[in-house]
Amino acid sequence: MMPVKHPLIPHASSPVPHSNFRPGLRLLLLAILLPLLQPAPILITPGPPQTVYTTHPIVAVHTRLTDEVEEWKIQRTLQMAREMGASRIVEFFPWAYYQGQDGAIAWEHPDMIINHAAAQGVSVIARIGLTPAWARPKDTPLTYLDADAYKDFARFTAVFAQRYRGQVSHIIIGNEPNLNYEWGYRQTTYQDYVDLLKVVYPVVKAANPELIVLAGALAPTLEPAGSPWGLNDLDYLTGMYQSGAADYFDGLAVHAYGLAFPPESDPAPDLLNFRRVELVRQVMLDHGDAATPIFITETGWNDHPRWTQAVRPGQRIQYTLGALRYAEANWPYVETVALWAFRYPAPTKSYMDYYTLVTPEFITKPIYDEIKKYTGN
Amino acid sequence: MLLLLLARCRAENPTWARIEQAGILRVGLDPTYPPFEVVDDGGLRGLDVDLARAIAADLGLEAAFVYFGYDGLYDALATEQVDVLISALVMAPERTRDFAYTEPYFNAGEILIVPQEEMEISEMRDLNGRILAVELGALGHVEANAWARRLPNLTIQPHNSADAAVTAVAQSQADAALVDAISGRLALRQQPSLKYISPPVTVEPFALVVRIDDELLLEKLNTSLENMTESGQLNQIIAQWLNYGHVRL
Repeated sequence: MMPVKHPLIPHASSPVPHSNFRPGLRLLLLAILLPLLQPAPILITPGPPQTVYTTHPIVAVHTRLTDEVEEWKIQRTLQMAREMGASRIVEFFPWAYYQGQDGAIAWEHPDMIINHAAAQGVSVIARIGLTPAWARPKDTPLTYLDADAYKDFARFTAVFAQRYRGQVSHIIIGNEPNLNYEWGYRQTTYQDYVDLLKVVYPVVKAANPELIVLAGALAPTLEPAGSPWGLNDLDYLTGMYQSGAADYFDGLAVHAYGLAFPPESDPAPDLLNFRRVELVRQVMLDHGDAATPIFITETGWNDHPRWTQAVRPGQRIQYTLGALRYAEANWPYVETVALWAFRYPAPTKSYMDYYTLVTPEFITKPIYDEIKKYTGN
Repeated sequence: MLLLLLARCRAENPTWARIEQAGILRVGLDPTYPPFEVVDDGGLRGLDVDLARAIAADLGLEAAFVYFGYDGLYDALATEQVDVLISALVMAPERTRDFAYTEPYFNAGEILIVPQEEMEISEMRDLNGRILAVELGALGHVEANAWARRLPNLTIQPHNSADAAVTAVAQSQADAALVDAISGRLALRQQPSLKYISPPVTVEPFALVVRIDDELLLEKLNTSLENMTESGQLNQIIAQWLNYGHVRL
């Protein structure tokens, strides 16, 4: 076959066309021009306002949109949560991601989440946490929040509450403070956390009086006092009440994982299961706090094939639906049951992937379809 | 020049020299995953254990096993508590900045299981108008749901376990089952009237893991795996633990 000369490619025997551009200049030109060849970003609009249809308003999900970069994925996630019948989402809004030392706050990403949630008719429970580097001592982790920074944290939370008035219905102060890891790898104490609530609560309520402030979100754990890992959640909550916490929160966030037990299995102080919520409730009653509602902001079962605390995928579906039914039938004080977790932006390649309802590629798992049926969708 | 520098870096990596000098390959695993690795009254045993011993023998070494929890395996390797992980670990591209994987030694993806005499079903498109048994909620169920969007007459029949899905095929309640390769092959041990179609319809590759800088060790392990594949030893080990009897290649 005869070689065909490409009109734009000089033939090997042809003289190389002379160019006035030196290689450096060519590269520079290429660097300027290449970005212009990128397709224009997709225009995402919130679309017409939607409404959540559900026969079980208690159903909610914990989303993971904090690390989601692309706006269409945020929108798609919230749309799918709405279609599943989730009336609320719990989402994490890390203070450390947004506020610089000069006080300026980057609102673009939280605005994106809140606006799309509003468009889908899904209400938001916002978890606030993680301390910016400028608000904590050098070489401390993001979870380190010292008393010196309580006022800064309160100010940020109040500004957040004010900005999203009418859009964010609840705020959770911190996350699992009874774990040393979540308390900046320090010995956690309920007194420290209550001190934080005492600073944050009045400032936030002044900024947005109708906002429901949730405390706790304690990790279910059996760790005894002095443990390097944390403190038993029931002991921690008891300590919170004894330290005068009751006046500084409107609702209690609770994490209630079922692990390998069915949702109906009896609670016991030395056991971690779904109905541990009842023991938490008892602590509240023991301290005269019957009027305060509980919000289960994390719960669920895991179906990883080799995690020791996992169940089979079919059991996971059965237990999850059982838990929703149980909570509705037996716990009038529980307003929300949020399943951990709706979807991760990328696979974690660990057992955590087996808590989700939807894959990072937006493929629904059968548990999603079953919950959707349960809510009448 | 770059190649020379890279070659020098590899030569200076001390891991292989230390292994060779000690005569011991330190293998990290989480022995809670039968039939790949489990420790009980009978001691440590499983497919990965046999594989580790065979590789060590091929390299003129002895395998020393160190146990970790599943979530601590990579940390144990990163902190040099072991030389290699052999623990039914799926290749994870996200980890390749710090770790390197050998060639895969087993695909744990979803497999189709059909009656021995069935000759018309070998892939997804053959299932239109058929009944496909799956384990409720498992990855095979997710895959089957995706197929159902392309095959309008595919009926998905969920069961509470992979065993039950396979049994449904044996009892002619379903035309095929789609279950993970491990559960499916174990279930086939009790169902001689059935076979599985190879290769699996999804890919879930298990591989050995080393630290990213241990290129020489990686090369040695890959050579051993290649030797064992060519000699049939790898298939023998897999067959011993997962029954290789009913495959239609």
